[in-house]
Amino acid sequence: MKRTQSDYVTALPARRPVKIFSTDPMLGRTAGNRIAIDVANEKLGYGPAGARVVVVDYDGGHGRFYPPVNLNDPAILMQGGLDPTESDPRFHQQMVYAVAMRTLENFDRALGRLIDFRKKEYQQLRLIPHAFYGANAFYDRDLHAVLFGYFRADRSDPGQNLPGQNVFTCLSHDIIAHEMTHAVVDRLKRYFMEPTNEDVLAFHEGFSDIVALFQHFSFQEILRQQIQKSRTDLRSKTLLVELARQFGYATGAGKALRSALDDPNAKLYKTTFEPHERGSILVAAVFDAFFATYQRRIRDLIRIATGGSGELPEGDLHPDLVNRIATEAAATAQQILTMCMRAFDYLPPVDITFGDYLRALVTADYELVPNDEFGERGAMIEAFRLRGIYPENVASLAEESLLWECADPGVPGLPLQGIDMLRELFFAAADFGSVSAPWASWGQQSASSARSSASFAEADSDMEITSEMAKVLHKYAQDNLQYFHLSGQLKIEVHGFHPVFRVAPNGQLLIELVAQFAQTDRSYTKELGGIPLRGGTTLVASADGKIRYIISKPLPSPNLTDSKKKEAQTRLDRQRTYLRLTDLADPKLSYWTQDEIANRMRLRMSLASLHQGVS
Amino acid sequence: MYEVGFGDCFLVTIRSGGTASKILFDCGSIKAGPRQITDVVEDILEAVKDPDGKSRIDVVVATHRHKDHVSGFASPLWKSVEVKEVWMPWTEDPDDKDAQKIRGSQAKLAMALAANTERKLRLQENLRVKAVNDLALNALSNEPAMHTLHQGFAGKPLRRFLSVCEPTEATFEVPALQSVVSHVLGPSRDKAVIRDMDPPAGQSYLRLFGGDDLSAGAPEPFREDWWMDGDPPEVSNLLSAHDRSIINSIGEGFDFDLAASLDKAVNGTSLMLMLNIGGQWLLFPGDAQWGTWRMVLETPRWRQLLTNTTFYKIGHHGSHNATPVDFVERTVGNDFWAMVSTHHVDQWPLIPKEELLSALGKKTTKIARTDKQAETPTPTFQVVQDRYIEVEIPLLQ
Repeated sequence: MKRTQSDYVTALPARRPVKIFSTDPMLGRTAGNRIAIDVANEKLGYGPAGARVVVVDYDGGHGRFYPPVNLNDPAILMQGGLDPTESDPRFHQQMVYAVAMRTLENFDRALGRLIDFRKKEYQQLRLIPHAFYGANAFYDRDLHAVLFGYFRADRSDPGQNLPGQNVFTCLSHDIIAHEMTHAVVDRLKRYFMEPTNEDVLAFHEGFSDIVALFQHFSFQEILRQQIQKSRTDLRSKTLLVELARQFGYATGAGKALRSALDDPNAKLYKTTFEPHERGSILVAAVFDAFFATYQRRIRDLIRIATGGSGELPEGDLHPDLVNRIATEAAATAQQILTMCMRAFDYLPPVDITFGDYLRALVTADYELVPNDEFGERGAMIEAFRLRGIYPENVASLAEESLLWECADPGVPGLPLQGIDMLRELFFAAADFGSVSAPWASWGQQSASSARSSASFAEADSDMEITSEMAKVLHKYAQDNLQYFHLSGQLKIEVHGFHPVFRVAPNGQLLIELVAQFAQTDRSYTKELGGIPLRGGTTLVASADGKIRYIISKPLPSPNLTDSKKKEAQTRLDRQRTYLRLTDLADPKLSYWTQDEIANRMRLRMSLASLHQGVS
Repeated sequence: MYEVGFGDCFLVTIRSGGTASKILFDCGSIKAGPRQITDVVEDILEAVKDPDGKSRIDVVVATHRHKDHVSGFASPLWKSVEVKEVWMPWTEDPDDKDAQKIRGSQAKLAMALAANTERKLRLQENLRVKAVNDLALNALSNEPAMHTLHQGFAGKPLRRFLSVCEPTEATFEVPALQSVVSHVLGPSRDKAVIRDMDPPAGQSYLRLFGGDDLSAGAPEPFREDWWMDGDPPEVSNLLSAHDRSIINSIGEGFDFDLAASLDKAVNGTSLMLMLNIGGQWLLFPGDAQWGTWRMVLETPRWRQLLTNTTFYKIGHHGSHNATPVDFVERTVGNDFWAMVSTHHVDQWPLIPKEELLSALGKKTTKIARTDKQAETPTPTFQVVQDRYIEVEIPLLQ
């Protein structure tokens, strides 16, 4: 083969540069606000339309479309994407696409697999940048879309905006990242939208803020600037810790929509109910852990720079020092973010609490990095403790008691003989590899994606699983009910099975298999305000099929052990109490119809109304 | 308790020795039926006449500014009534900055919602929109009534704006009411409670719809030369007609959410009082909502006080969130008197909440309700059909 025909010459680049506002248009031409980032260079149609997300610029307020951008247009390619501007809808489309992909790639990397947005009737998640007139943006599961609103800035108190100017939620990095995260979480854990206890929706909100927040640290120029300005104290009120600034100012709040650190002493109380507010405690805890780790990691740099005193001198910091600190800050932020995302595979399928999340964080990280080299895990535990977030049923906050209980060695392993494991692993690896080399599939579908879309049609489900695999796993769960704390009287739904590849900092490859089962007891639906009582179990196994962790939320059932029976009952009681308390706080209850009352918990699931006016 | 339909009007007369002191709680509503609110006012004036033929009230309490609690004060008849004191929640204080802000946003939100729903109602009848409109109208400031409360009445009454935050002032006696000890249980000046009174969702609604005339449609996000005449073939098939119709109507449902939170916000300003009159404990919570109730139930001193209750004015026409289960099942004792002023309204099928009334019924049989006058237990209560229900409570000390 001629050199000119080889990949070396013909292959297209792996990454595509695109320009975005690193925060939002309010910062204008401030250095570092108009930046170029890169995203995977996938095949793109007009929209942009990628394999997993597509931008559809339909304006419901006016019933019309705006012209879709073609990012492959040479005029646009040659300038590395359109320049940031508020007045060209095509730039809006470009930015929504770029930030959405950036967010997705973060999940892909952390979870060791591609987040899949294929659903029965849709190939991609739809992003609608100017869907409606209103100070709001939300993910809608039924529409399989993220909808962004636009509105006029407050006339009397617009902050740094012009009074009455148009404000676009789709031009806020934080709002895009936040809403994308809702969409991803809903794909990974479809029952986390059902408000079964006070932490569930708060987790959705808090976690979405965490992702938006930590992505700030990947914008080098802003980061360096803020390190200089705050003299390395990233806790101070910098651009980095504020979320959705333009939205906040434009709506006349006189400040950013939310901040990681509004109240340095905020703790989790039983009485903090509003999901954003409760979620912000989770954000604060994670940020504390980040800050502690970051400080530990830059201490030596500061000592070197100050001749050992550790006291920074008056005046500007040396730019080299700022660069080195920025590198540490960015690396720490990425590690914390990855750690937060990785925890997902160790979460139960239903009824999450902040405590469960802490346990999942600790376990997932322990599996990958047993010795906690950088002390992030310790910092995380300490931060959660200080914010008053404790798991239930643990004896202490020591690392070993926070780890999910190890499965009994007598538990039968995954029936790998029934699954063509090698094939699964191969396809998963090929899929995952395609994150970094997507161009290989340019013009033709890869073998693996063709395979899964066929099985989607077959299984008539939007789960990450093929039907023959589902059958094998179903039987396996049925045969081992007692180990997995599942009820013998209810149908078992197989909710996904996937191999996970992770590379530890020491270079070790960790392969795990994760399976999820869920069960639904509809006899409580009426009593619980329209949502059924659900239970379920997540299994984490090593590559040879041996079960390592059984993370369960049992349903009341006679075949459970006494302690699990008690756990199931406690969960049911908690859900009842939660319903009673939300009823008390809900002004609509007196004014709803009987039908709405019967389904009130379902109505409360809507992110549209949850986000109303507060993004 | 006067029959005022879906409203509140309670007169407390304390007789000791040869004298009588009188407290009036609220005066508002009556829409259906032969009687007007002025008829009720005339009844009250007659009932509070002293032997010299002059109508006198010692204390007028306006629990909160909802029309169904104050509309009667718009009557010119009040000019001649001598009043010693008028009690209102701190949110009515004309000089208080926080109060001004709360009143301002509530009024603006009510006006914006009313205007928006009236426009929609002109286009189409719709029970839900009508409900939103009713809630908004009820919250609209009632100027003549508020004028009476703030400037009217004969006898130059003293105005007190009460709140729960200063513990020393939360329990007090006034010369106007001999041997009555009053405890203010709400509204609080706590930040969380204030936020309930001025909900952020309402603020952003105002910013969106308060300033702009949207009858011509939403403002344009882009210049005209960006508008497409048809659908772009590359992406239009990604959004079905059904999807588009859903997207086109986003925002329609928000009015109702807002109207409900506005209603809660105004109810949340309710003055909640516990009066100790000669050993009897009378609890008048206005239409206080969970925010106020929660603070009361979580404060040991107030919770203890609630256990004394011997008379309870059932909050907010018997709706579910104005009387917490915790109060009924775990705080209040047995065999107290209870009264509820309520009336069936089509838009609000769940007021009064029957489960609540039957839960109260397990604690006491002495419950009177204006919507079921025929079922009122006598002789505990005396019913004058369609006019009022009366109860006599003996002083113990």
